Amino acid sequence: MIYIARRMIYIARRMIYIAMTSRKTFCISLAAVAVMLTTGVASAQWDPYPWKRVPRTPDGKVDLNAPAQRTRDGKPDLSGFWMPEDPVKYLLNLASDMKEEEVPLKPSARDLYNKRIDNNGKDHPGVSCLPSGIPEKDNIPDGLKLVQTEDLVLLLHESRTIYRQIFTDGRPLPKNPQPTWMGYSIGHWDKDTLVVETIGQNGRTWLDMRGLPGTEALHVTERFSRPRIGHMDIAVTIDDPEAYTKPWNVKLAWRLEPDTDLIESICEENNRDPGHMIGK
Amino acid sequence: MATLLLGAPAPAQWLNYPTPGIPRLANGKPNLNAAAPRTAGGKPDLSGIWAWEDNRPCPPEGCPDAHIGQEFLNIGWSLKNGLPYQPWAADLVKARRAANSKDDPQSRCLPRGAIRIYTDGMFKKILQLPGEIVILSERDASYRQIFTDGRPLPVDPSPSWNGYSSGKWEGDTLVVRTEGFRDDMWLDSQGSPLTSAAKVTERFRRPNFGKLEIEITVDDPKAYTAPWTIRLNQPIVLDTELLDYICAENERDTPHFTAK
Repeated sequence: MIYIARRMIYIARRMIYIAMTSRKTFCISLAAVAVMLTTGVASAQWDPYPWKRVPRTPDGKVDLNAPAQRTRDGKPDLSGFWMPEDPVKYLLNLASDMKEEEVPLKPSARDLYNKRIDNNGKDHPGVSCLPSGIPEKDNIPDGLKLVQTEDLVLLLHESRTIYRQIFTDGRPLPKNPQPTWMGYSIGHWDKDTLVVETIGQNGRTWLDMRGLPGTEALHVTERFSRPRIGHMDIAVTIDDPEAYTKPWNVKLAWRLEPDTDLIESICEENNRDPGHMIGK
Repeated sequence: MATLLLGAPAPAQWLNYPTPGIPRLANGKPNLNAAAPRTAGGKPDLSGIWAWEDNRPCPPEGCPDAHIGQEFLNIGWSLKNGLPYQPWAADLVKARRAANSKDDPQSRCLPRGAIRIYTDGMFKKILQLPGEIVILSERDASYRQIFTDGRPLPVDPSPSWNGYSSGKWEGDTLVVRTEGFRDDMWLDSQGSPLTSAAKVTERFRRPNFGKLEIEITVDDPKAYTAPWTIRLNQPIVLDTELLDYICAENERDTPHFTAK
């Protein structure tokens, strides 16, 4: 069962790439991808192992509408297994809630963006199993497990079995960070919202699969809030003066996937995508 | 890889962030022999950044930058009679050595797996949390989970590089059992195999602030004639942080591998 589900995720991933390769069949492929992802992901986890310490309804299910719980230090507890609410929308186009001309791309960045679209996104780093950056990683529909401690928020992503650390121990952002694929993240609490600042990304990641660019100057702010157990809002601000004329915003959302856990996923296993990517 | 690791820290500012709560000697230096910290629940706290034991002699001209320990080359080097390979496994290791280990999965950026990350030249960070322990590895910024909430091992686990791990405390020792490995894993660079039949037991102890002991017993009747046990000593690493190493970044090795 797990093997079949895993295969379906691979097929779904392939279909996202196929979706990128033809703008005419884009919508059709997208619908298919959505179906594959929904069916694939739901059954792709380990045998269900019920979580402890979560409120449940009388029928034993996690009460998704209960208010978020609090940690011992009084902060909202953001932990859980999360999935992007819409499995593909913001992954394919982070600016999909904006009109094309509203995205404040600088001319050079718009040229790069258009080139990536014309080239069917074939050079997306993920094709070669390179990591997604922030915020694209928030939108990968394989889900993630969020672990919260007093001084660290840890995101364990299923895809690539890769982690991201968000330091909440009060340290400042580094002044001259070593550029990395996922950058350097610190977070602080603004009332019940966790405000996360990320810099130090390497400029090689794309903000989405269509290819909205980011540079080493990218400064991402994510505001995480959990109005109820089953839902996370993430208000994202993209501030990259090298690529955009002004900061711009997008609202993402995650839904809780209860009573499940991570399963290993290694991109390099049998990756046969690169040979099949078609561009100009 | 280790060259990169050791060469990078100078300009990378975040690698110099002070570790909180270090016990100190009168002269201000870290007291590595101080008692190990304990969690609120009273168990030894294994949390920290840990390195590999540099137990390989250096050549007369000095140590190279990439100085990994003995176990990276041969995980059974400390055993008097070596690893108790099944005949086919002994032949396989011989063939792999003759082929310069060119088919090592890690050469194609595949994971090193639960055991091998202890012996490679990269740092690990252990986070001991209520109900689980997470081990972060710089290698591909990857993680491994060890559940400590009392759950049993799954009956038919999906084969994976990390397997499925469940641990429980026996006094001050964390005993972790892992099953569900893949069939094609290498435990060291000479290609000592690990198969899906393997049951691995790790015993973690932190005898003092500066040291983590991991005793590993591999019971894999498919590849070995008897269970075998080794012990790794891992030193703590202070005032630093993990720095991601992404293997697939600019990966140009594969076409250059040669063998007889």
